Amino acid sequence: MKSTLMMVLAAAGLAATPALAGPTEDLASTCNACHGLNGVSVGPTMPSIGGLPEIYLKNVMLQWKNGERYSATMGRHFKGYSDEEISSLATYFSKLPWVPVVQKADAKVIAQGKEASERCETCHGATGSEPDDDETPKINGQWAEYMHLEMLKYRTDAVKMPHRKMRGNTKKLDEADVEAVAKFYAAQPK
Amino acid sequence: MSFNRRDFIKTVGASSVIVPITACAAPSGGRGAGGKARIVVIGGGFGGATAAKYFKIVDPGLDVTLVERQQTYTSCPLSNEVLSGHGKIEDLQSGYDGLKKRGVNVIFDDAVSIDPAKKTVKLKGGKTLNYDYMVLSPGIDFNFSGVEGYSEALANSTHPHAWKAGPQTLALKKQLEGMKDGQTFVIAVPPGPFRCPPGPYERASQVASYFKSHGMMKSKVLIADANDSFSKKGLFEQAWKRHYPGMIEWVAGAAGGKVVKFDAKSNTASSDFNDFKGDVVNIIPPHHAGNIAKSTGLTNDKGWCTVDMLTMESTVHKDIYVVGDSTVHGELPVYGAPKSAHMAATQAKVAVGAIIAKMSGLAAPEPFFVNTCYSVAEKDWGFSVAHVYRKRDGKLVYITDAGGISPVNMDDEVQLVLQRKLESEYVHGWFKNIMADAFA
Repeated sequence: MKSTLMMVLAAAGLAATPALAGPTEDLASTCNACHGLNGVSVGPTMPSIGGLPEIYLKNVMLQWKNGERYSATMGRHFKGYSDEEISSLATYFSKLPWVPVVQKADAKVIAQGKEASERCETCHGATGSEPDDDETPKINGQWAEYMHLEMLKYRTDAVKMPHRKMRGNTKKLDEADVEAVAKFYAAQPK
Repeated sequence: MSFNRRDFIKTVGASSVIVPITACAAPSGGRGAGGKARIVVIGGGFGGATAAKYFKIVDPGLDVTLVERQQTYTSCPLSNEVLSGHGKIEDLQSGYDGLKKRGVNVIFDDAVSIDPAKKTVKLKGGKTLNYDYMVLSPGIDFNFSGVEGYSEALANSTHPHAWKAGPQTLALKKQLEGMKDGQTFVIAVPPGPFRCPPGPYERASQVASYFKSHGMMKSKVLIADANDSFSKKGLFEQAWKRHYPGMIEWVAGAAGGKVVKFDAKSNTASSDFNDFKGDVVNIIPPHHAGNIAKSTGLTNDKGWCTVDMLTMESTVHKDIYVVGDSTVHGELPVYGAPKSAHMAATQAKVAVGAIIAKMSGLAAPEPFFVNTCYSVAEKDWGFSVAHVYRKRDGKLVYITDAGGISPVNMDDEVQLVLQRKLESEYVHGWFKNIMADAFA
């Protein structure tokens, strides 16, 4: 409906741009192919991004663009957009609701993950839903496979990952606990 | 284009003026009963399904009809992994219930002719549909005469091309499974542009993966190519050297790789210079825009639909917007504008935006085109090409600072293995999301 209103307003000369819902929404719609409608992913290796903190989203996108953060794919995309466009995308996605995709796992594995997640708790909150600051993403109901792969990146010294705390703490995890921690947070509804 | 009325009200501060698009004055085209613009989408692949869905997301009140031949869609992306047994065909399929739930009128029929002057579409079942705006996403059809001796009958029986995923994919898989160690699998690649530029080379990789995982180390894949280079060449060649040394041979067009003749009895594909005899011969015939686009006069002399890239509207007939594999992209080079699922979906969104703007008498919004195309050469060994296109000086251009292929060489082995592993996993997440973005 937003677009309808926008167009009506535009036609009546009330809105400044003749865009549909606005260029940010149009640009954001291209993210849906990999990150899901409204930033809620349905693919286990791709993160949900709707409702993550604005500063976190902006930092990550700019770091990819500037080559300060390793990515397998995303850096190549963001080189095509201005810093302002990236900021607008961060604002747009941060305003969408965070929709946890609760994933079931073996109770033993979840318990193991909870036990090992102590060091994550300070920044992400006990269940991952209450990050300590705006630079830290929510991770409750985030996709386990995605988080597992992301931790693999942090645990690999050979690639550039800018967050020292995150690097240090993921590396301190026992190899066997990495997947369990991912599954623990993935199983949290809130 | 995910709209949220609450956000809108927050940002603009207006709230009570809700006038449906369908009641706006239309600058062109006729109207159906009740003054509603009628939108007809032909073809329910990635392009058509995404278009139908996004019309409904922008305005659920729009009158959208989708015409599609088959009740179940089978994705071409990831279908090479079905051949090797690394993937299942059921996981690549979707019906159209998701679109029906969104209020799309789905008709399972075959569009046989379009009258662009009267703005009607005739269906095989006898119905005639009127449209004000059309999104045409017919995919490809084959020019079987491009390879003498090959035919649709052979494709449907003993020699599947499997370049449209479905029963032929399973038929080719069965042939692969019947092979013995030491035998040769020949893939004939047509002249570009063709659907899925890296597809034939991914197929070669997946066939080799099958050989390797079944201990058939003396078997070979021979790629007889009409072209002199190919998509992600450095990445594929690196993968072949590492995972399948000596198992995959590529014959370029200039080296006599262009197959022009096929003899089914002796299983021999021939160029003007060479004979390629195989135990399984997979001919991918040359192709062009879907037949309905051709018969409507929308294609150029090479058989592809030319469009205004800023809107996807046909340069031949107005109010027909062509998306997906059947289009060509003006002056953009072939591999700069690939025939991929992701491109079809991104074009569909651009077409929806342009049509809705036109319906409302507005200029088309700035189009955003992106493409990510993954290939999996072996377990844990994936890579991609990305493209970003932007409007610059009134034209759509490929942004050379962005996009490009995954790095071929990296500083060390650890980085390289991680990069390939990540992309081999990302492809599956991408696939689930892009299927849902089109069909759910």
